[in-house]
Amino acid sequence: MEAVYLALAAAAAIAIPALATAWAQSRIGPAVAAALAEKPELSTTAVLMIAIPETVVILGFVVAAAILFR
Amino acid sequence: MSKVRVLGPRERLPEALRTLQDLSLLHLAPPTVPPGEPLERAHLATREERERRHLLDVIVDIDAALEQLRVTTTQPLRTASRAAPGDLVRWARLAWRVRREAERLRLQLVVLEEEKALILKYQQFFSAFRSLLEAEARWPNATAYHVLVRGSDAGTIPKLRAALTAAIGDEFEIYTQPLASGEIALLIIVAAPAAARVEGLLAQAQVEEIPVPAAYGGGTLTAAIPAMLARLGEIPGALQGARKRQQDLSHEHSGELARARAAVHDRLAELEALPLSGVTPRAFVLEGWVPTRSRATLEARMRTDFGDAVAVSAVSTEEWASDEAPVVLSNPRLFRPFETLTNVFPLPRYGTIDPTPFVAVFFPAFFGLMVGDVGYGVVLAGLGLLLHRMSKHGTLLRNVSEIIGPCALFSIIAGFLFGEIFGDFGSRQLGLRPMLFDRHEAMMPFLLLAVALGAVHILLGLGLGVASLVRRHPRQALGRGLSGVMIILVILALLAAVKVLPAGFFTPAAIGLLVAFPLLILLEGVVAPIELLSTLGNILSYARIMALGVASVMLAVVANRMAGAIGSVAVGVLFALLFHLVNFAIALFSPTVHALRLHYVEFFGKFYSPGGVRYQPFGRWIPARPRA
Repeated sequence: MEAVYLALAAAAAIAIPALATAWAQSRIGPAVAAALAEKPELSTTAVLMIAIPETVVILGFVVAAAILFR
Repeated sequence: MSKVRVLGPRERLPEALRTLQDLSLLHLAPPTVPPGEPLERAHLATREERERRHLLDVIVDIDAALEQLRVTTTQPLRTASRAAPGDLVRWARLAWRVRREAERLRLQLVVLEEEKALILKYQQFFSAFRSLLEAEARWPNATAYHVLVRGSDAGTIPKLRAALTAAIGDEFEIYTQPLASGEIALLIIVAAPAAARVEGLLAQAQVEEIPVPAAYGGGTLTAAIPAMLARLGEIPGALQGARKRQQDLSHEHSGELARARAAVHDRLAELEALPLSGVTPRAFVLEGWVPTRSRATLEARMRTDFGDAVAVSAVSTEEWASDEAPVVLSNPRLFRPFETLTNVFPLPRYGTIDPTPFVAVFFPAFFGLMVGDVGYGVVLAGLGLLLHRMSKHGTLLRNVSEIIGPCALFSIIAGFLFGEIFGDFGSRQLGLRPMLFDRHEAMMPFLLLAVALGAVHILLGLGLGVASLVRRHPRQALGRGLSGVMIILVILALLAAVKVLPAGFFTPAAIGLLVAFPLLILLEGVVAPIELLSTLGNILSYARIMALGVASVMLAVVANRMAGAIGSVAVGVLFALLFHLVNFAIALFSPTVHALRLHYVEFFGKFYSPGGVRYQPFGRWIPARPRA
């Protein structure tokens, strides 16, 4: 039973940050698209802006790995 | 950079400016005017101002003419001499004339192409109803309507037939013919008395008749088509003639216009440099920055050209603020392509640190650790070589290809450390063993490695911050240094707590932290603890190296398993290759973005001070390089 709880906890650790990242990127995406329409030279910054929320899901992945492989 | 002052007799100012322009070493700046001195900024005379405005117009004409002739110049022109008297006037006339002629030819080509397309459209119609159209002239009491219907609207034809029958009985004929374009050509022949009602019906059904172009005699299509076909025969010759004339024009004038563009830009730069000089009734003074290693060259050239008449002297560093000095990035050949990555940010201020060498070392290392596969590394190296061959020196593509090289090398090295060739293919089929650890299984050691690298990178950033701040803002430098020490103490305490280090380390580290904490607040204010926590968060952010690395190897392993999981070996191998291709594409994009992010957000934030002014020496005009 403990293994099931651990698996669920690991799944939650990655799923919740993934949803949060998706939500954040859904807000950043249109803003970045609008900015790029006016200033195409911001493309590198735009890619980074999109990548910044991915930190959350990456940390979620690390936590999930720590739960599963402790 | 050294700031220098050039002094000389006023009448020799234009000559001095020309020499400085030939040298292309001095970044001009308005001279500092000590109070009470009779020095004033030079102004353009009315004649010179008029010339400047005229030259701006000439440049527009030359650029437009060269663009119309599709001439691109990317190499600086080695003009032996400057524009001779009268050259500028001649070039202005030439540019105006060539621009207009080139525009006329361009327009002529467009018109001819459009005319050709129009006639070809009519030709299809004519071919479909050739016999009927020829007979059309023989029907004195009939009116013909020529209609094109889209293929998707074919259903309207029976409806049209029914509507015409209801309106005029059997006093009409409809002929249809599908065309190669997918449209349907309709020829409707109606008895003359019923023509008005038919026209009303066609208008009501929003069916448009093909207009007969007035240029070909107007009237009926039958009458116009022979003229159109004759014209179709003439058009290729006319097109060829216009293109030949365009080539001749380009051949005849592009060299002269390119020379003119360089000379006009040079003259404009000279005129625009004049107001940056200071003058008294008898003397002139010019000030600016020159790279210290080039100062002797500048002094020697001025001495050769002007003897004792013009003096070049260094302005002492006490007289100028470092923020005013322009910046030029100077990196070894190996690191130079990485300036592309640092150029995303504004230039660093003068006297601060250029991060390019650090990016050149850490970016490929982080990228390599994330990709960590010999197979992907070799493919990447091949891609880099291909890009290198396809690109020209100094272009963005060439820089990218030169960045790919070290990234591929680090990927291969990391691949050997982790024992990976296309995921676990190397270990299963080739017997490759990891030299460090297997990323597939040893996630915790990989996580510790990633975070440890993060700690080193961030501590290096803090160290660079101290080095760049120590002269101008010693208090801030001390605060940043103390942050670094506290980070080290936190790491020591944590390692002692988890028994990686002897437990005896814990207490001194904790005491050290307790002592350093109030000092940090004293030096950097109440926000300091938040910044310290944020710095610790930055170190943890390097865990992405492990996360992306593990994701990459997992995808590669899944790809390899596909080969055996699907019934047919050939289909399995094909799927496996496709999956590896997808993983390779992800491995190109994600590690690049995240390695960049680790530099831009985590590393640069510790020391980078943007806001530098680019070093732009007053010199001869150089055409802009293409980006790719």
